[in-house]
Amino acid sequence: MASLSSKRVYRTVALGAITALAVIAIAPFFMDIYTTNILIRAFYLAALVMTVDILWGYTGILTFGQSAFFGIGAYACALVFTHYGFGPLWAIGALAIGILAALAVAAIVGWLAFYHGASPLYASIITLALPIVLVQLIFAGGRWTGSSSGLSAFPTYYWSTETWFWIAGAYLVLVTSLGFLLVRSDFGRILVAIRENEERAAYLGIPISRIKTGLMMASGAVGAAAGFGYAAFTNVVAPELGDFLLGTELLIWTALGGRGTLIGPVLGAIGIDVTASYLSGTLPFLWKLLTGIAFVVVIVLLPRGLAPILGQAIGFVIPPLRRKPPQSAELVPADWRPIAASFDAPPLKIDELICQYGSLRVLTGVNATVKGGELLSIVGPNGAGKTTLMRCVSDGSERTAGRVYVQGVEIGRGAPQSIVALGVGRSFQNTNLFDTLTVAECLMLARYGVDGAPMFARRAEIRMPEPALDIMRATGLDKVLATETGSLSHGMKRGLELAMVLATEPSVLLLDEPTAGLTKAERTAIGHTLKRLTDEYGLAVVLIEHDLDFVREISSRIVVLHQGSVLMEGTVEEVVNSELVRAVYSGEQVEAVA
Amino acid sequence: MSILVLDIVTTAAILFAVASGLMIILGVMKLINFAHGAFLTVGGYTAFLTTEAGITPWLSAPLAAIFGFLAGIVIERLVVRPLYSRPLDAILATWGLGIVIGQVITLTFGREVQFAASPMSGTFDFGAIDYSAYRIVVTLIAIAIGIALTALFYGTRFGLQARAVIMNETLARGLGIDSGRVRTLTFGLGAGLACAAGALITPLLSVDPNMGLPWLVNSFMLVLVSGVSIPSLALASLILGGAQVAVSTYISPIIGGLTIVVLAAFILRINPRGLGLG
Amino acid sequence: MKRSVFLSLLLSVTATAALAQDPIKIGIPVGLSGANSVVAPSVVQSAELAAEEINAEGGILGRPVELIVADDGSGAQGAQRAFDSLVFREGVDVLISMETSAARNAGLPIVNRGRVPYIYTSFYEGKSCSPWMYVNAWVPEQQVAPIVDHFMKEFGAKTYFLIGSDYAFGRGMLEFTRQYVEDSGGEIVGEEYLPMDGSDWTAIISKLKAANPDALITSTAGGAPNVTLTKQLRAAGVSIPYGNLAVDEGTAKSMGADANGIFIAASYVTGIDSEENKTFLDAMKAKFDGDLNTPNDLSVPQYEAVYLYKAAVEKAGSTDPQAVIDALSEVSFTGPRGTVQMNKQRHAPLTMYLGQVQEDGSVEVIQSFANVDPGDQCPQLAN
Repeated sequence: MASLSSKRVYRTVALGAITALAVIAIAPFFMDIYTTNILIRAFYLAALVMTVDILWGYTGILTFGQSAFFGIGAYACALVFTHYGFGPLWAIGALAIGILAALAVAAIVGWLAFYHGASPLYASIITLALPIVLVQLIFAGGRWTGSSSGLSAFPTYYWSTETWFWIAGAYLVLVTSLGFLLVRSDFGRILVAIRENEERAAYLGIPISRIKTGLMMASGAVGAAAGFGYAAFTNVVAPELGDFLLGTELLIWTALGGRGTLIGPVLGAIGIDVTASYLSGTLPFLWKLLTGIAFVVVIVLLPRGLAPILGQAIGFVIPPLRRKPPQSAELVPADWRPIAASFDAPPLKIDELICQYGSLRVLTGVNATVKGGELLSIVGPNGAGKTTLMRCVSDGSERTAGRVYVQGVEIGRGAPQSIVALGVGRSFQNTNLFDTLTVAECLMLARYGVDGAPMFARRAEIRMPEPALDIMRATGLDKVLATETGSLSHGMKRGLELAMVLATEPSVLLLDEPTAGLTKAERTAIGHTLKRLTDEYGLAVVLIEHDLDFVREISSRIVVLHQGSVLMEGTVEEVVNSELVRAVYSGEQVEAVA
Repeated sequence: MSILVLDIVTTAAILFAVASGLMIILGVMKLINFAHGAFLTVGGYTAFLTTEAGITPWLSAPLAAIFGFLAGIVIERLVVRPLYSRPLDAILATWGLGIVIGQVITLTFGREVQFAASPMSGTFDFGAIDYSAYRIVVTLIAIAIGIALTALFYGTRFGLQARAVIMNETLARGLGIDSGRVRTLTFGLGAGLACAAGALITPLLSVDPNMGLPWLVNSFMLVLVSGVSIPSLALASLILGGAQVAVSTYISPIIGGLTIVVLAAFILRINPRGLGLG
Repeated sequence: MKRSVFLSLLLSVTATAALAQDPIKIGIPVGLSGANSVVAPSVVQSAELAAEEINAEGGILGRPVELIVADDGSGAQGAQRAFDSLVFREGVDVLISMETSAARNAGLPIVNRGRVPYIYTSFYEGKSCSPWMYVNAWVPEQQVAPIVDHFMKEFGAKTYFLIGSDYAFGRGMLEFTRQYVEDSGGEIVGEEYLPMDGSDWTAIISKLKAANPDALITSTAGGAPNVTLTKQLRAAGVSIPYGNLAVDEGTAKSMGADANGIFIAASYVTGIDSEENKTFLDAMKAKFDGDLNTPNDLSVPQYEAVYLYKAAVEKAGSTDPQAVIDALSEVSFTGPRGTVQMNKQRHAPLTMYLGQVQEDGSVEVIQSFANVDPGDQCPQLAN
């Protein structure tokens, strides 16, 4: 099902790869040995830098530790060849050991750094600790690792420089092409979504921790293989191949080259490393100072690095090379049959829910049950705990005590994506979407839980359930699929928000003020869709709403929340006519005036 | 045994002094200052220059604090301010800044080890054992810093504003607090504290362009584990510093050097709030 | 420092008819930046003096000598660049350099590939062997004995405590020290290491005090660790006999009172009372004047190595790499450190000096030991 845009990406990558390979094939015949040697080393480092760009530039994981994987691969080569044996089988074995060790270490780092709720700062510090710990272990390894002196002159393949150049070049082209396909694929859009708004992505059912850990492992393996090649070629390993200074240099190269462009950091790494080889010999301290200044300036003033500027300049001179806007995928209806509500378990049951921040009790024992086909509205003054209630239902780590059951399953301490997997869909109060993604890409994200996302391809079609399509049509979104969401109108953003939640095919829908700031017509359309969801699809819908008229039109039941507990529960009529509720609302108004 | 207690207490005090500047910046500005190590180094060189100028070494820490405060204000304006909305970029920019500071120091003073005079030498006699007098003095100074910071944050108008910004910056701005000014002053204060700490530990160390770097990661860890509060930083310094001393003494100083990093990583993994005392 | 590097890079030396011929290129990869940047300028200076003297005398086999200095950043990656550039771009005839062990190890494969004679001029932990390499500086076998012997004889020291930085040199030196002390009838009551960038020796010093040994021997990384350890030892009131395997005359001087009383062993100290040393020091002073970096145990072997290479080329009659390698073990040179010949498995027997740091930071030579043997370093390269 390769789409047009997929084909275009394949063609670009194939063309780029073939050109690069051709240049690499003939280059050694035009260069002296010195330059060739420098380039071989630079190629391996560039492959490592590419992984930094995927992690940091695309996914937003600021990693200081990518050098550690390079070091692991390099030491696997040196240790096996020095102490155990040398030969084709030993070489393959050493490479396998290096890659496996890198995978294992990356998995541990992932477990430590990417758990649900970990701050990006914490993850960065963990990646910073990784090379520090690794280097300390190498130092403590005594004769076995060669300690500070490293290992050198172990047996290796004394192939000609050209051969090594071709191997290193081919490896770089291979991993860069794969990297390019990855970031241009549907899966690549998911990485960008994680960078732009991790919380939102989690609530769309995207398994953030798993994706980040997997990415870390893949990057680790690519880095370890590069390190292996580096060690086999240079015949030397030293602790500095895995240390944190190299890790930060990788970031500097990525930033200068242009993060999130892949080709920028790769060329940046090669360019800077080669320049350093010629210049740093004569200007050792000054060179480092200038790099430092350039780095600060680029981070502060040119966060996208130098590549986009160069790219634009080239595009300006040679118009055909200008980036064309990506072709958008088309929407096709998906067959949506929500899980039929089981008889003994209601879709959503909340049992004695308590939520407390420090000494402040926001929810003090809330009970509620929502049946399939029912629309439960929660009303109450500001600060009553409505949004907190939603948060506690959709994220297992939020509540202090009590139980929440979805389709009869207790949510435990599950992260948002695991609760989404149970069938809960949640929309947010603010319209904080993924600004650099297009409408179609946002919908594709939302379908990740149902349809997945190919790693190295783009799909031509996005399957959408009928109610989501209704919303799209009602808000005019179906005509702007290729538009970046940052430039949508408020109403369209609200509509997209709702369409995305529906695209996850939830059986329980949590909506936090979905109609705030909308026109009357838009509100009516949304009300109509909600009715259809409950009546035709049997969804259980929980709605937070201030607009009592809207509530009255579509609700089956209403819960009034006040100061963290359920003040009243009943039918629309009962609640609307209640003196108590009126008192609460007028009380709020008095407070608001004061 | 009592030597062990003294080792733990004095080590914790040094760690507290070194990390406090970092914590203040993290608390108010929500950013990790990777130039922290470079600020420590700057403090060391201030002590060196103080010695060269023939001024009493007791003044080197206050002078370093003043210099650091002023430099911090300038740096905040030029480098940090444009990056408020990009906290991870701020990490990188301050790291780059650290490289620049280190290289400027190297180009100015050379890479060789320099020496700063110690305000005092010799040992205190505690009956059965004698113990490094300067470490005891540093401990007392660190306690004084802790008390002064607490007084600053809980007893002054600036402290009230800073705490408001820590809790909810949007709300604080709504209440008419100039959060930009609070941030600038905080960064200056953090930089000043870091420089003072650098000058303070110099008599135990050597002055060279990389002297601050080994302290950087341990400081990060302590600050992350402690959350943002002075008592919990003291507690974290005591627990993790104590663990480091204990591991160094009973197992191996090499593993001891990794204790804080590894222990903190696992503490945070198990409880993301760390050892926060609120 | 900048200027001397610049000068050396442009060093195409004047004088004599030798200029008509192609120069003999001597590559000097050295740590102008990084950990060795403190000592590197003195190493470059002493090589410059040797080149100038040789050229003034008509060069080697009538060809002038040209020095090419390259920064190795004191580490493996920088060394690969520096060696690559010298061997493959500049096509040097010989490499003569003082470097870290990591840089040396990183350079060796390139030396092997390029088939260039290499004289390593830094003291190190020993047992690094390559068919293309010679070493004219000391190894543990030569340095440790004078200190331990002195402690045993003069102080009756039986129990020893060892402290080092956790790296190849630190561990290598103390491993040998332990063995030597035990073979001499002493006892090691503690052996502790701190990571190379560690600066807090508190726990180790407390252990030292608890062990209460007769003497202390340390082998840290040069520069900061050495200084922090010594300072903290003094602050903790440690006053037992203290032998430091890593301190040199210059560092001792700058440490001032903290270094007072420390014992050191070296193959060169400025106070060596010989005609050659006096001539050398005068020539250095005359050439560099105010820019002079005090000659030391790392820079003087560099000076001598240039002369050893000259002697080997003259004996071989050409700069042919294999012929020079064969000749290097057969020639000797009498310089500031006395007569040096690299005839013991690619290493050299050396005269070692035991010194003690005085109150003003100067080093007083207590005793000298002639022709201390380097022991078995490279049995497979016996010649």
